[in-house]
Amino acid sequence: MNVNAKTPNKSVSAPGKKKKRGASLDVRKARAGWFFILPFLIGFVLIYLPIIYDSIKYSFHELRILGGGGFELTYVGWENYFNAIFVDPEFMTTLITGLKQSILDIPSIVLFSLFVAIVLNQKIAGRAAFRAIFFIPVILTTGLIGEIDAQNTMNTIMSNAEGINDGSGGESTAAEIISVMDMEKLFANMMIGQEIVTYVVGLVNNIFNIINRCGVQMLIFLSGLQGISPAIYESCSIDGASGWETFWKVTLPMVSPIILVNTIYTVIDAFTAADNQVMAYIDTIYGSTGGDVLSSAMSWMYFLLVILIIAAVSGIMSAFVFYQRRD
Amino acid sequence: MDNTTRIVKESKNKIRAEFERTPLLDRLRSKFINMYTVQRVAWYLFRFLFLLGISYVILFPFFSKISSSFMSGEDFVDVTVRLLPKNPTLATYAGVIKYNGYFEALFNTFVLSLVCAVAQTFICCLIGYGFAKFKFKFNKLLFALVIFTMVVPHSTLQLSMFMEFRFFDVLGICKLLNAMGVIEEATISLLNTNIPLYILSFTGLAYKNGLFIFLMRQFFRGIPDELEESAYLDGSGVFSTYFRIILPLSVTMMVTVFMFSFCWQWTDNFYTNLFYTSAGPYLLPDIVKVPKGLTDGYTTASTYISAAARNACGILILIPLIILYLFGQRYIVEGIERSGITG
Repeated sequence: MNVNAKTPNKSVSAPGKKKKRGASLDVRKARAGWFFILPFLIGFVLIYLPIIYDSIKYSFHELRILGGGGFELTYVGWENYFNAIFVDPEFMTTLITGLKQSILDIPSIVLFSLFVAIVLNQKIAGRAAFRAIFFIPVILTTGLIGEIDAQNTMNTIMSNAEGINDGSGGESTAAEIISVMDMEKLFANMMIGQEIVTYVVGLVNNIFNIINRCGVQMLIFLSGLQGISPAIYESCSIDGASGWETFWKVTLPMVSPIILVNTIYTVIDAFTAADNQVMAYIDTIYGSTGGDVLSSAMSWMYFLLVILIIAAVSGIMSAFVFYQRRD
Repeated sequence: MDNTTRIVKESKNKIRAEFERTPLLDRLRSKFINMYTVQRVAWYLFRFLFLLGISYVILFPFFSKISSSFMSGEDFVDVTVRLLPKNPTLATYAGVIKYNGYFEALFNTFVLSLVCAVAQTFICCLIGYGFAKFKFKFNKLLFALVIFTMVVPHSTLQLSMFMEFRFFDVLGICKLLNAMGVIEEATISLLNTNIPLYILSFTGLAYKNGLFIFLMRQFFRGIPDELEESAYLDGSGVFSTYFRIILPLSVTMMVTVFMFSFCWQWTDNFYTNLFYTSAGPYLLPDIVKVPKGLTDGYTTASTYISAAARNACGILILIPLIILYLFGQRYIVEGIERSGITG
C-alpha cells in the first residue's frame, strides 16, 4: 500500500512526520470520501440495483403470485410493452395529455416560484410571517393531508352542483376564481388564441396546486438570491439603474444557473408526482390487478420519456445560463 | 421663484442668512409626488397584496378543515352556516380519538417518522459531505446515481420494491441461514414492520433523499475549504473534523432536512400502503375513517359526518406537525439562505 513510492511528488508530509502512514493526505482523504458515501453505496448496490433490475426484469415477464407465498415468472419478451402501447385503450391518450399538462405546468411553476422568491427576498412588512406561510404547503400538504384536501374539494364541487352546503367553507377551493367567460371578454380584442386564454384561466384557478408544488423551488431560489452579492446591487443603484433594469441585468443572469436546476427539479417533480395523470393511471393499473407487470412496463417507458425531456430541457437551457466566474 | 439670500451681520462674529424658504407643502410635494416614489409605493402595495392573497389561498384549506371538523350534523344541512358552525361539537374529535385508536397510531407513526427522519438527516448529511469535499474516483458518476434515484419515480419501482421486501434476502444470507437450519424459509418477509423504511432511510434511498443529499452537498460546498485545512494542520483527523467542526456549522441545514423528512414521512401514504397491510401496526393513515360511534345518530347525513370525521382526522394528524413547524420554520429559511446554491 505504499502509495508514496508510486507518487512521490504528491506526498504532503509534514516535517517531523516522515511517511508514517504510507499514504498521502490526498489518498487518505479519498479513502475517507469513500467512507462518507458508504451508506449510499451499500444501499444502492444491495437494495436499489436489485430493485431496478427486478423492475426491468418484471416488465419482460408475466407474473403470477402463487398461493403458498411464492411467485412465478414466465418470460414473454416485449409483450407487456406492446400491450401498453397498442392494446391498452387509455395509456397512450393519458400519456399524451399528461405530457401536455406537465409541459404547460412547468414554466408556470418555475416562473411563479422565482417571482415569489424575489418578492419574499425584498424588505416588506411581515416578511418572516409570509415566509413561514409560504412554506406551509410543501411541509404540511403532502400525501395524506393532500388526499383529505382533494376529497374536501370533491365534496364541495359535488355539493355545489347539488346546491347544498357541505360546510367545508364556501366556494373558494372549488369554484373558479375567474371564469373563462370573463377572460374571453377581456382578451377578445387582443387577438389572443383560445388556448392561451384557457391556459391563463387554468393557471389562476389552479393557483393552490401551483403554490403547493412550488415549495422546494422557492427555497432553492431564495437561497440563490441570497447568494448574489449586495455589492453588485449597490453599484447598480449608484449608477442609476432602476429596479426593473437591475432585475433583467443582474438578478436574472445571476440566478440563471438556479433556474436550470429548478427547471430540472420541477420536471422531475411534475412527472413523478403521485397526482400526475400518467402516474395515477399507472397506479390504478398496478392496483387493479394486484401487482400487474404491465404497470412496470408502462412506467419504464414513461421514465425513458422523462429522461429524454430532461436531457432536452437541460440542453436547451444550458445555452442561456450565465456562470459567474469565481476566483 | 425669487429666493435671493440676504446675509445680515448680527454681531461681531455672528451672521444670519435670510432667504425665502420653500413652503413645507411644496417640499413634501416635490419629495413624494414623483414617479420614483409612486412606483415604489405601487410596487410595495402590489407585493403586499399579492403575498396576502396567496397567504389566504394557502391558509384557507386549514380554516375550512378546522371549521368543518367542529360542525355538527345540523350545521351541515343548514344553508346559512358558512365557515363558523352554529352548533359546534367536539363529538367528532371524541369519536376519532376514542374509536379510531388515535393515540396508538400517533405513537407508532411518531416512532417511525422520528427514526426515519433522524436517520435520513444524518445519512444525507454524511453522504452530502462526502460528495462535496472529497475528490475520489467516480465522484461525479456516483453523484449522478444519486440524481438518478431522484429521477426514477418510486411508484415505478413499487412492484419490485414490494417484492424485494416481501422476499427479503441480501447477498443470500437468508438462504445460507436457511441451509444451516436457523430460519425456516429461504427469504424473510419484512412487510408490516418498520424495517423496510428504516433500511431505505439508512441508505439514503427513501422519499426525496436525492434532494436532501443535493441540498447538503451544495451547502457543504459553500463552506470554505480553509476551515477544514486548518483543522487538519492542527492534527485533527477527517472524522473528528467532520463531527466537531462541520456538523455544528450545519445545524440549520440539518433541521431543514429533518423537518422535510419528518413531515413527509408523517403524512406519507405511499410507503405505508405498500409495506403495511391491515394486519400491520396501526399508523396514522389508518385512522382516516368515520368512527363507529358517530354513525348511529345521523344515518341520513352520513356524507356530512364523513366530511367532519375526515377533517377532524386531518386536524389531529396535523397538530403535531404544526407545533413542529412553528418551532422549525425559522431554520428552514435560515438554513436555505446559508446554503448559497449556485447551480
